[in-house]
Amino acid sequence: MINAWYLYLFFSAALILAGLLCLLTKRNLIRLFIGIMVIGKGLSLLLVSTGFARANILLAQALVVTFIVVEVSLVAAALALIINIYRTTGSLDVRKLTRLKG
Amino acid sequence: MIVQTALLVGLVLFSVLAIVLRDLLKAAISLAVASLLLGIVFFRMNAPYAGVFEISVVAGLITVLFILTIALTNAGEEVRESRIVRWVFPLFFLAFIVIDALVMKGLLQKIPALPSAPEIGTFGDVLWKGRTLDLVGQIAVILAGVFAVLALFRKRDKHD
Repeated sequence: MINAWYLYLFFSAALILAGLLCLLTKRNLIRLFIGIMVIGKGLSLLLVSTGFARANILLAQALVVTFIVVEVSLVAAALALIINIYRTTGSLDVRKLTRLKG
Repeated sequence: MIVQTALLVGLVLFSVLAIVLRDLLKAAISLAVASLLLGIVFFRMNAPYAGVFEISVVAGLITVLFILTIALTNAGEEVRESRIVRWVFPLFFLAFIVIDALVMKGLLQKIPALPSAPEIGTFGDVLWKGRTLDLVGQIAVILAGVFAVLALFRKRDKHD
């Protein structure tokens, strides 16, 4: 059981790094948000697999359900922000957000 | 175990595709496929409630929200990504995969397994009795999200 845990650990580390690399290198706002979602997938895989390896699956499931609810309201608020940014600046480029505009 | 590994490889593959693909619509759909695979992995780990939430909410609702946003901001394709990124991303990712595999192989059976008491009761008992405060927090977070969206899409005053 513990040996299988390292397999899940390997894959969740790969997912989290893919999301971090996306956040560091991409410029499109929607693409950056996809990176955040990939990091979230890695984290929920980590939670459930740790619960599975330690025979504590019910608690892990409760935590993942809470995490998914938080993720949904985060997505709704952030996508509304992205649409507002697009209406204000006419672009989805993060570099244009550094310009101060009053 | 082989099926589980194949599902996990597919999960990582579709997540990387969601980041690398140029077309945002295809990226959103591959993110949904990745969520679907993650949901199946949860089902196979005896976590049906987490799997149901992952498939219905993350693969369904969030994909719809993403596609709606992409349709409302149709100039997203004009953002130019830097050229170096095309090489840097796969290179760093492959290097990390190798390091990751070596570290996990080195760590194998070195972390002592702490004793854990087996769980009793059902999922409902754990969620409603053990994590009651989490549920209150979830209601607060949902309300905060609703108010945030309402505030961001309110009608502008005439003086603005």
